[in-house]
Amino acid sequence: MLKETHKAEIDDILSRYPVKRSALLPLLYLAQREQGYITEAAMQEIAGLLKLTPPQVYETATFYTMLNLKPVGKFHLQVCKSLMCALVGSDTVIGWISAKLGIKPGETTPDRLFTLSIVECLAACGTGPMMQVNDDYYERLTEEKLDRILADLRQTGTCSLKTGPFMWPEPAPAKPGA
Amino acid sequence: MPDQKPETVRLTIDGTTVAVPKGTLVIEAARRVGVMIPHFCYHPKLKPDANCRMCLVEVEKMPKLQTACSTPVAEGMAVRTATTTVDDAHKSVLEFILANHPLDCPVCDQGGKCDLQDFSHQYTPTTSRFTETKRIFQKEYFSPLIETQMNRCVQCLRCVRYCDEIMDVKALAPVGRGTMTEIKHFGPHELDCEFCGGCIQICPVGAITSRLSMYEYRPWMLKRADTICTFCGDGCRITVQTKGNELIEVNSAHGAGRNNGDLCARGFFGFHASSDADRLTHPLIRREGKLVEATWEDALEYVAEQALRLKLAHSADAFGGLITSRCTNEDLYVFQKFMRQVIGTNRIDSSARYGHLNGVQALRRVQGTHRWTIAFEDIVAANALLLVGTNITETSPITGLKVKEAVKKRQASLVTMEALQPAIDTLSNITNLALQHFPTHPAQFGNTVLGLTKAVIEGNLVDATLAQQAPAFVQRLTSALQGISWENLEAVTGQTRTQWTETAKILAGANRLVILVGNGVLRHPGGDATVTNLLDLLILLGKLDKPGCGLGPLAEENNDQGAVEMGAVAEFFPGPAPLDDQPVRDRIATVWREELPRTPGASLTEMLAAANKGSLKALFVVGENPVGTLPAEAQAAEALGKLDLLVCQELFLTETAAMAHVVLPACSYMEKDGTFTNSEGHVQGVRQAINPVGDSRPDWEMFSALSVLMGSPLEYGDAREILKEIRTVIPGYGLLGPTPTPPKVDQAVLSGYLTQGFAGDAATRYAVSQPRQTGDGSFTLMFVQTLFHSGKLSTHSKGLLQLQQEGFLSINPEDAARLDLADGGQVKVSNSRGAITTTVKIRERVPAGLLWFPEHFDGEAKQLAEWTIDPRTQIPYFKLAHVSLAKVS
Ligand code: SF4
Ligand code: SF4
Ligand code: SF4
Ligand code: FES
Ligand code: FES
Repeated sequence: MLKETHKAEIDDILSRYPVKRSALLPLLYLAQREQGYITEAAMQEIAGLLKLTPPQVYETATFYTMLNLKPVGKFHLQVCKSLMCALVGSDTVIGWISAKLGIKPGETTPDRLFTLSIVECLAACGTGPMMQVNDDYYERLTEEKLDRILADLRQTGTCSLKTGPFMWPEPAPAKPGA
Repeated sequence: MPDQKPETVRLTIDGTTVAVPKGTLVIEAARRVGVMIPHFCYHPKLKPDANCRMCLVEVEKMPKLQTACSTPVAEGMAVRTATTTVDDAHKSVLEFILANHPLDCPVCDQGGKCDLQDFSHQYTPTTSRFTETKRIFQKEYFSPLIETQMNRCVQCLRCVRYCDEIMDVKALAPVGRGTMTEIKHFGPHELDCEFCGGCIQICPVGAITSRLSMYEYRPWMLKRADTICTFCGDGCRITVQTKGNELIEVNSAHGAGRNNGDLCARGFFGFHASSDADRLTHPLIRREGKLVEATWEDALEYVAEQALRLKLAHSADAFGGLITSRCTNEDLYVFQKFMRQVIGTNRIDSSARYGHLNGVQALRRVQGTHRWTIAFEDIVAANALLLVGTNITETSPITGLKVKEAVKKRQASLVTMEALQPAIDTLSNITNLALQHFPTHPAQFGNTVLGLTKAVIEGNLVDATLAQQAPAFVQRLTSALQGISWENLEAVTGQTRTQWTETAKILAGANRLVILVGNGVLRHPGGDATVTNLLDLLILLGKLDKPGCGLGPLAEENNDQGAVEMGAVAEFFPGPAPLDDQPVRDRIATVWREELPRTPGASLTEMLAAANKGSLKALFVVGENPVGTLPAEAQAAEALGKLDLLVCQELFLTETAAMAHVVLPACSYMEKDGTFTNSEGHVQGVRQAINPVGDSRPDWEMFSALSVLMGSPLEYGDAREILKEIRTVIPGYGLLGPTPTPPKVDQAVLSGYLTQGFAGDAATRYAVSQPRQTGDGSFTLMFVQTLFHSGKLSTHSKGLLQLQQEGFLSINPEDAARLDLADGGQVKVSNSRGAITTTVKIRERVPAGLLWFPEHFDGEAKQLAEWTIDPRTQIPYFKLAHVSLAKVS
């Protein structure tokens, strides 16, 4: 129960909003931070805290692509497929990842390292195609960059190509091999 | 009935000028001049959401098309609904919707009454430019009674909004986003909700449908009958749809009836009770100890002969009659006329005895009316509502919707006193909406009301003119309540003085105050005193006869009110008029051309006692089942076993009917014409939807046939003729209009009450009642009505049985934890009367120390109930028990 393990934080979140329901997203984030994804039990508990019905929590949890309802791999690759990114090739990026990792959107690699998701606009429209990996942005993706990101993530758990959030002001074009 | 006249705005719709109240939406203004603007997401019951864009119209001086469903009218506005631009907009919205629609109309139950079909027919080009693959949702099991087919969904969210805004259940969630949004419950769980059917009714397409009628029909095959639901006192208008003689579906059109098209699970899914295979189809006569099939001639002749013989051998008062208030007014009227005129006795009673009479008697005594002085409209328009002893969502769901509307849409202040805790679960809970809630033990309603009255007096909230006009009344109550200490009241009720004081201010400050009283008060000892005290409260606040104010007892059965008004109870002639009311006696005698019996009436319990003593020889029982309903202590079976003649008119072979000498198959509400009178006192037409099942006949017809055989014919061609006669006995009865015209407080009666009428029992009414000591266990077990059933009748409905098919014990989580009881586990419930084993259901809404058991499945459990008879009103109480619990492992 979150209420037992995170009482102070929950109280603090609740105290911030005059309308209880407004605390829904922060609480869902808290639940996801703790378990990597939002469990049914967590949704039920949050419903109880906010005097909502579980379907009302479920509705919100399924709306935002940032909220996971299933366990995800160590690295959650979230590729934006909204309009701007689509115009500059997000489909291609998704194709590369699928081919390289052997997973379709919504799937996780058998070693539980990578999960591929397709998400809505992440507000980096000027620097697409882009993806978010856990909390980091990777923008202006190319196949080369992608290879390097995947390799670095495997080896070191992070990658120096990360740019965000957010890539603003826009950096100078990266030198090849940088 | 709103007070002020709203401002008017004039605008033109396609050139036609129309004047509408300010705030009206363009789509509604257009409807007034006969222009139907196509729409999906708009519904007059719901707040505008403007999500579907189907209703776009041109408004002069506005650069872009506007959504008619969310644009309020403005003075001088010129709206065009049929230009090329508008037409193109309709076309493209439909093109988008149809891009994903499976076009499976041939197998869709909505086909023929579908908005998408109709609008497509009217607006779409015959070809679509989309070549992409369609969105496909995996078909998932949704629930036992409600089916979803999400590929058909147009994502208007009407279902979700209905379930939230109107029902306050919030069981539906739009899951996902964009085109991939689908309507679900919670994760993979099947739907668990109130099953009101509202989402089915409000879905403009075939995405949510009823499983009871799945694939059974095409709309144009169905015959429709508009009639009234039989499952509670709310009196909802239902449309029964039949194919041949088969019941297919029940629904209710928006705007129809007192329910405005809303229904509860019983009304929407309960109709199969009438077509249950167990229905009696032939008369039965007991021969050599066994009930065997007989012809109507034989059965009726047998009854007539026996009745004549017994009347000759004994007296008219050796007869009794008992009738259910599920019957029509016409049945009830002919029943009491038969008993009074053909037999010659006043020994009759009906199920209104169990509670509704408590309310009616108090109203008559204080304000001289036998009906509410308010109507549903006054509930909706109230500024403050006080609900006492009613879990309204489960007992009177549609009256409950009016309360929800008052609170949610019109910000009324709600005060509740009920054995219920605020909690969010699968059913809505009226106490969740309360500004002040008094969790009240079932034995403490009287005391909790006393606290409120004391707070009104001590807070100087008594109406100033009342103190001058009725000083004796005010002084008597004041001194009585001063004699009761707050400490004492707080100790017995568990409420606090602060809460009473706060609540008193809320009630006093409301211009329109409505009090609703339910079974928790009416069906428990001291019920009439509590109702009288609540009327006193209205008097003290100066609100009893103010417009929009009043008190309404909630009837449990559909025609409790009619049963009293038809005189189908021991103490009343039709009217209702007391047996000693000479002018009424004379008027009825003129119509009947016969003197009315002079001997006193006898209530249900008195009749049972008389039968036990041997002085009652014959009993006519219509749709009542004392053996199956009353606890063993009532000795109903023993009493009925001693009768020389027991005649039962029944739908099913009940425990009582199984003991009868003759059983006559009766028609259900689906098979007859007549009228029902709802809680409000509104008389509404009942219309036949199917042919009588088997050889069954309406109850009145049987009495009519018997009367002929017994030599004093009561002959009527049809139910209308009976209603005509009722109107000569009760002038103006039931002028079947769309809304009731509530009576006004009778000032003569009120002033009589205020000068001395109140005094007789003031001492007992204004004293703290001490809870009964029983020596039994520490839990109070309540036999309650649930949302999914009505008496035992609904337990014959296959739909409702899927929602609830057996008894279970609802218990508070803390009590359960203390006793180590798990949800779904077994528990032994026992007291000095007996013991049963049942299933545990843990529910936060049950207050600690209380237990609920559905009365519909009380079979075995009944033996635990305490049996008390109010010596003054003869009302039997058997809905409580004190018990102990033990886990069964
Ligand atoms: S049937 Fe259930 S889900 Fe549908 S509107 Fe009624 S309560 Fe909500
Ligand atoms: S199921 Fe029906 S009412 Fe609900 S969103 Fe879909 S189309 Fe609208
Ligand atoms: S049971 Fe009552 S509330 Fe439900 S549909 Fe019938 S009359 Fe209406
Ligand atoms: S469209 Fe991809 S980040 Fe905005
Ligand atoms: S009806 Fe107006 S936008 Fe849906």
